[in-house]
This record gives sequence, C-alpha cells and structure tokens, in this order.
Amino acid sequence: MSESISSNNVSHEDILNKPVLPGDLAMWFFILAELTVFAIFFIGFAIAEQQNSILFSEGKKQLHQSAGLVNTIALITSSFFVAIALNVMHKNEGKRAAYLIVLANATALIYIFVKLWEYFALFEQGIGIETNTFFTLYFLITMFHLMHVLLGMVILLFIAKKAFSGEYSDTKISGFESGASYWHMVDLLWIILFPLIYVI
Amino acid sequence: MSYFINKNTKLAFVSWLVLIVLTLISVYLTLFIDSRTLYVAVALIIVSIKGQQIIDIFMELKHAPKLWRMLLLSYVIVVPLVIGLIYLV
Repeated sequence: MSESISSNNVSHEDILNKPVLPGDLAMWFFILAELTVFAIFFIGFAIAEQQNSILFSEGKKQLHQSAGLVNTIALITSSFFVAIALNVMHKNEGKRAAYLIVLANATALIYIFVKLWEYFALFEQGIGIETNTFFTLYFLITMFHLMHVLLGMVILLFIAKKAFSGEYSDTKISGFESGASYWHMVDLLWIILFPLIYVI
Repeated sequence: MSYFINKNTKLAFVSWLVLIVLTLISVYLTLFIDSRTLYVAVALIIVSIKGQQIIDIFMELKHAPKLWRMLLLSYVIVVPLVIGLIYLV
C-alpha cells in the first residue's frame, strides 16, 4: 500500500528530473584520478614552455598541426557516436547501440593511425623522445594519452559485445554508462592537450 | 520518454557541431588575432566552452548531482586558467 502511495506521488517527470550520476561511482573516482594526473602533465608542460619559450616554439613548428586537427575531429565524432549509442540503449535497442559503439571505435582508429603516422614522421626526421625537453614532454604526454585511447577502445568493444548480446537494458545500464563516461574523459583530455601542445 | 531521447540526440548533434566549429576557430585564430596575449586567452576560453559541452551533453552531467557536475566543470575552468596565468603573467 505504502509502495502504491509512494509511486503515485512520484511522477515520471520527477524521475527524469532527479539528479542521477551516470554509471558507477567508482568509475567517476577513477576519472577524477586520471584527470588529476593529466592536469599535472598539462601544468608541467606550460611551466616548461614558459622557461624554454624559444625551444618550445621551434618544437611546435615541427609538429603536424593538421594531424592534431584531424585527431581532434576524430575523437569528438567518436564521442558523439558514443553519446548517441547511450540514447539508443535507453530505448532498449542493444544491437543498434552496439553498431554505434563499433562506429565510434572505427572513428577512434583514425586517431590511432594518424598518431602513429605522426610519430613515424618525426622519427624519420631524426626526432625522438630524447631530442629536447619539448619532445620529451610531447612524447610522454601524447603516448600516455594514446594508451588511454587504446584502453577506452577495449572498454568500448567490451560494452558493445554486452549490448549486442542483450545484457543491458534501460534499467540495467550502469556498465554501459561507465564505459561511455570513460570514453568522453579521453575526449575531454584531448580537448585540452591539442591546443596546449599544437596550437598556442 | 521518446521525446526525451530524441531531445538528447538532437542536443548531442548540436554539441558535436559546436565542438567542431570551435576546434576550427581555435586552429585558425592566428589569422584573425595578432596579439599573443589575446590569442592565448581566446584559445583557452574556447577550451573551457568545449569542455562544458562534453561534460554537460556527452557525459550527461547536466542533470547529475551538483557536486559531480561542479567538480568536472571546475576542471575545465581551473586547468585552462592556470595554464593561461603561466603563459601570460
């Protein structure tokens, strides 16, 4: 009886408007930890640039800004597909959500190929991680980010497989949301990394 | 519910468009702005706006508990602000 009264008092709109953290709380703590580590890298890079402005300016000129731009568009688009996949999953359309996640991963592959091309182009010019402070930080930060992209792609494949086999639904979606949130974090980090290292 | 889902999908598309346009603006900003100080400031403001779009729309934190939304939003404000201060002060 009390359940019936309680459900009568809570409208569908109230449920939609109730503040809810998407995914598992543990994933959000993990995301916060990751963001903190990258914040240290970003601020460290800015301090090093301030102390070696000519070296960093010359270093940035040797990077392929267009490759960075293509990668930014690839990650934003991939994140968009994941956001759409989550909306589709809310409609209990697991297979469609899985296809969208595969599409997101295919877009992320563009990032991987362009990044590797960029590294090999620099290696061919005789530039490596030990060339100077700028390239040490460039390789460290971008390779660390690349590792996160690879981990994110594995997580996306995992949730795509589960979505395809019908293991998620509108009411059982926490794992899907956690994977999606991790992927958006990878995108968020690149949004800061790209202008910091390639543009400004 | 279907209205809610369609609205979210449309919002995600608009957000994607905003992110792409802002990315292109930040790359070609040097064509319009000569002053490095202004250029760095505008580029970092763009980072904050793009971050807000990802957090609120893609991560769907707009309707999340305030603490978590504020934690994430403060990241895309504080980190660019600190970088800007390092570059410009």
